[in-house]
Formats: sequence, C-alpha cells, structure tokens
Amino acid sequence: MDDNWEPPVPAGYSDANRAFIQAFMARGTLTFREAQKLLAAIQSAVSDDGSDDTDNTDPQSITMADFENFIRTAREAVEPLDFDIRNTRDQVRGGGERVWAFINAHSDPATQLGTSRTAEEVAYIKRLLDAMFEKHNTARLEVMAVDEGQALRESRPAGGGRASNVNGNNNDDGGQEEEGGGSAAATSRGLKHSEVLSLLSSLVAEGWLDKSRDGFYSLAPRSLMELWSWLVATYNDADTEWQQIKFCEACKEIVTYGQRCNEPNCTIRLHDICEEGFWRTRGEKKCPKCSTPWEGNHFVGERAVTSRSGFQRGRGRRARRSTAADAADAAEDVEDEEE
Amino acid sequence: MPARRRHAVQDDEEEDVQRQYPQSPDDVDGDGDERMEVVGQRDETSQLIKNLVRYALACEYSRTPIRRDGIREKVLGSNGRDFKKVFAGAQKQLQATFGMQMVELPTKDRNLLTADQKRKAAKSQSQKETVSNAYVLVSTLPEAYTKPAIKAPSKVQSADGEASYIALYTMIITIITLSGGELSDPRLRRHLGRLNAAENMPGMNPNDETSPSEKTELVLQRMIRHGYLVRVTESKTTGDEDATTWHVGPRGKVEVDKDAIATFVRAVYGGSNDELEKKLQMSLKIKERKPGVPETVDEAAEEAPDGDPGPSDRRRGRRRQTEAEDEDDE
Ligand SMILES: [Zn+2]
Ligand SMILES: [Zn+2]
Repeated sequence: MDDNWEPPVPAGYSDANRAFIQAFMARGTLTFREAQKLLAAIQSAVSDDGSDDTDNTDPQSITMADFENFIRTAREAVEPLDFDIRNTRDQVRGGGERVWAFINAHSDPATQLGTSRTAEEVAYIKRLLDAMFEKHNTARLEVMAVDEGQALRESRPAGGGRASNVNGNNNDDGGQEEEGGGSAAATSRGLKHSEVLSLLSSLVAEGWLDKSRDGFYSLAPRSLMELWSWLVATYNDADTEWQQIKFCEACKEIVTYGQRCNEPNCTIRLHDICEEGFWRTRGEKKCPKCSTPWEGNHFVGERAVTSRSGFQRGRGRRARRSTAADAADAAEDVEDEEE
Repeated sequence: MPARRRHAVQDDEEEDVQRQYPQSPDDVDGDGDERMEVVGQRDETSQLIKNLVRYALACEYSRTPIRRDGIREKVLGSNGRDFKKVFAGAQKQLQATFGMQMVELPTKDRNLLTADQKRKAAKSQSQKETVSNAYVLVSTLPEAYTKPAIKAPSKVQSADGEASYIALYTMIITIITLSGGELSDPRLRRHLGRLNAAENMPGMNPNDETSPSEKTELVLQRMIRHGYLVRVTESKTTGDEDATTWHVGPRGKVEVDKDAIATFVRAVYGGSNDELEKKLQMSLKIKERKPGVPETVDEAAEEAPDGDPGPSDRRRGRRRQTEAEDEDDE
C-alpha cells in the first residue's frame, strides 16, 4: 500500500453523497418521507451560494428515483467496508411503510451492540432475544414479544449454577464493578430493574425495539434487518419442520406480527400488510400448505395474547397468569447458545 | 432484506463494482507487473484499514473516544508496527467515503487533574507530552452540510431526543466558553432555570410515554460521560461547601468549536449584525488570548516536583474530576 493509494469511490461521488451517508448512519433508518426532507436539505446545501435563502428545495420534489439513486451509490460506497443498506416493510405501523436501514453486513447482537453497551447489557439483550424467540414463542402462544414484566424477569441470568457461564466470555468491560462484594467475581450480576428499564428505553429510542400501546416490546424493523441471518441461524433448526422463526408466505420476510394458519402445527404465516394482495391472487382463503380454511383470527405477535378474552380483564391478573404460563414454558428453558 | 435478494440487486451493479473496487489481484488492471507478495501485503493492510474504519465508526456511534490502545488491541493485534500506515489509510478512507476525519482530542486541562493525577503525570511524562492518543470522528464537509435538517436526526422517536440533546450541550458549551471557559455550578443552574430545565430536560426518547423527560442531573451526567462537559468539584479544606465548576470536555472542544459557537449565538440572536459579530469576535478571541487564568497557576505548579500546587494556591484542596474519568482511565 503506497502513499498515493486513494480509496475507490463510486463514479460521480460527491459531498452530497457523503452528507447522505453521514445522516443515514446517524439516523439508523430512513423512510421515504424522511429521506425526502433529508435530500431536499442536501440539495439546498449543494446549491448554497452563501446567501441566506437556503431552504429552497421542496421535499415533495424529491422522487423515489432520486432516493434510490442515493441509496444505490451509498451501498456501492460502503459495501467494501462490510456495511450494507437493506429495506423491509414495517409489519405493524405506517400501513407497511418501507424502511431502509444502514446495517453491518455480518452482525450479531454482540458485535452490533458491544461497542456501545456494557458486557452486562449485551448479555441481557441476548436473554431478551431468547425470551422473545424461545420462551414466548411456542406453538401455543407465538407472541415473539415481551411485556415489561417479562422483560424485567430476564434482568438476571437464569438462576442457580448456570449463572456463571452466561457472561463469562465478555468481561472485558472495565469499571462496571461498582456492585462489588458479590459472592463470586465470575458470576454475572445481571442488571437492576431500573437499568433494564433505561436500557429498554434507549433501545426503543435508537430504533432497535418497538414498544406497543399495550406495552409489548418487539424487534423493530432495524433489528430484523440487522440481525436477520443471526436470528435465523440462532433460533432455527434446519433439521426440523417446526421453526421458531417463520416467514411470510407472500413476501418471505420474517413474521413477528401477523397471522398464522389455524392448524396449530402448520408453519404457514402471513403479514397483515401482505394479506390482501396474497388472497387476491388466489381463489379461496385456504392455507396453501394444509388447506385449512384461513380465518385470520389466529395471530403471531402480541395479539396472540391481547386477542384472548382474558387479556382485557385487568393487568394484574394477566401478569399472574402469564407468570404461570412462563413457568411452564421456562421448564425447558434453553441454555445460552453462544459459545 | 435477506442476502439472497441482495444479490439480485447487486447483479445489475456488478460491472460498476468490479471497475471501482479491484479487490483481488485478477481485478487489477494495468498493474500486471505487481508481484504477488506485494499484492498479498496490500490486501492485509486493506483489511486492517477496513477494520479501523469500522472500529472508528462504532466508537463514534457510542460517543466513546477512539483510543490508540483500543486500535492496537482491537484492530491491529500482532500488526502493531503498521499503526502509521493503517491509520493514514483509514483517514483517507473515512474522508473519501464518509467525509469524516479522526481528530485528536485535546489533552486534558491540567487544572482539571487531581493532585494525584498530576503527580502521576509529572512522573510518567517525558517532558512535553502534548498528545492525548484519543480521537473523535468529525465531519469535514463544508458548513452548508452541517445544518440541522441534514446533521440532526429528524424523525420522531430518538431523533427528537438526540436533537434536543445536541441543542442542550451546544448551549451549555457556548455559555461556558463565553464565560471564559469556566462556569460555577450556581450560574449553570441559573441558566438552566431560565430555560425551564432546572429539574427536567427533554428525554432522549420523547416518544416513550413512560419517560418523556429526564432528570436534568442524568442528562448532565451523560454529557460528562460523552466528553462534552467536565465537572470539577473542589472540596475546601476549611469546611465550606464544595465548589463545583463546569468546563468544556474534550469532545465538546472538538465538536462544538468556535465556529459552532458563533453559529449558535447568531441563531439565538436571530441573525448576525456588526455589533454582535464584534462581541463574538471579542469574547471568542479574548478567551484565546487571555493567559488562562487558573491554567497559569497550575501550569507553574506542574513544574514542582510533586505537582502539589502549594499552600498559597487558592485552589488548594482536593480536586475531583467527577465521572469523566471512567472513560479515560481504563
Ligand atoms: Zn409479508
Ligand atoms: Zn396450514
């Protein structure tokens, strides 16, 4: 590598492209509407001649083609650095609005979150993902989300002798030992409830988690895009027909919020946002695999809980009930899968 | 988007990609005389450069300084002797792709060190150690690109929180700087009171209805942790109340530089006029020219063998640099 090496950039690459990438990275995700405002501001900056009237580009004048141009150039620029830009539709909100995310090409929770979180927080996030994709994701109740009580229950590593190995591999986080005096130094102390709540709040703030009106935390589109391959590799078993993570029959993306076949053992899933188009192309509303009539009243996501008649009858009772259900599910609680 | 779809999109770009990024020896056009080992070495350096760029961006995301030690440990490993080459390459890559540069943080103000730290520094320092060995990423794009609609996140959720966070630390840093680089705690509180922010500030996540605002104290602590502010608490030996002063932290100095302060002040005053510019010039320059009021005292003390300021110093007493240490001393 000699001194006059110049990093390759896409043809016609300019400060406008650089500003776009900076802004995209700072935001993490972009919708087209957000991109219109951003690109309008960038275009104004390009034509900024130092005079005062700068905000002269109308966001409405930015077309999808303009946006896609910037996305294509940005991807080309960052791909050699193992970053990527992907997009997906929001399963829940905005009528399936498409969301673009700036992501790491090879990502797991530790590499993605490890630099900005303490080791304890990373270990907690792993337990939270286990809770979403294993404990609260059973054939009977495919919630793939946790309420606050369930999130708090993961604040410490599963009890007993297994506590020590959950976090044994990443104790390189200096200065976090203010709670000294614990019995064994190697034991992960977990997080305090207040720490869990503030971590959850910042994960929501950064667009990694969604928090629903009914108080359920689930993976936001940003996480689903960033962790897609890690989630599938971690929670799905190639040798079995049943998979913890299932895909939409229409769009082939992960379903964490949608509908399921009425036949409990069938793995066919559909997003609400994909349903209409899907049935339009078919004669009858039957499961394409097992031909069970599709009634659209069996849910994946928080509605697996909230649609049940018991849910509306008071949060306290629900909390107790789901505690009992958790206890049953947790019996076969799966050990931390990271080496 | 799953990888398989990514390929579909990539295919129509294949030609461009190949032309722009000669990554394997076969792709290199025109320099066929390059020997294989040179190519291999270059590939290794490319990999290290890429890793350093990624490391720098990850640090920036969490607003932790990029430390030379961290680079050695997490990026270079056994290639420590390549530091210069890799660092220079990463700077080029950051500039070319992102319009960013790693900028070295200023060394810690000596008057903000505890007596103990000064002793240590005096011992270990080979005369003039003027490098902090810590960097932050800053944008090198022209000023036109730094306006809030581009720079500050604009979406609801965290972005609003981030925007108000940026506004708050920019304002506090401006006040501190225009006050000569140091602000007493009561005066800071008075300023915050005027902004209705004495008790609470907008939360980082206004969309989370469980915490639309945050305790001012927590936000200030975050500003300290991120290196925007430094809080110095001096316990008086005489039993008076502790005197707390606020200073601009290393990241604050780099990110909110004089231009940013001037821009901020102009925005607050709704534009610029001759009088304002004159004042601005004065206060930002005076601070520059002023022979650093407390600095000189402590600078002199630094020369003393044990670094102790001595009994006559009005700043006698134990200085504690609150919180800011946890990032700096690991
Ligand atoms: Zn779908
Ligand atoms: Zn079926």
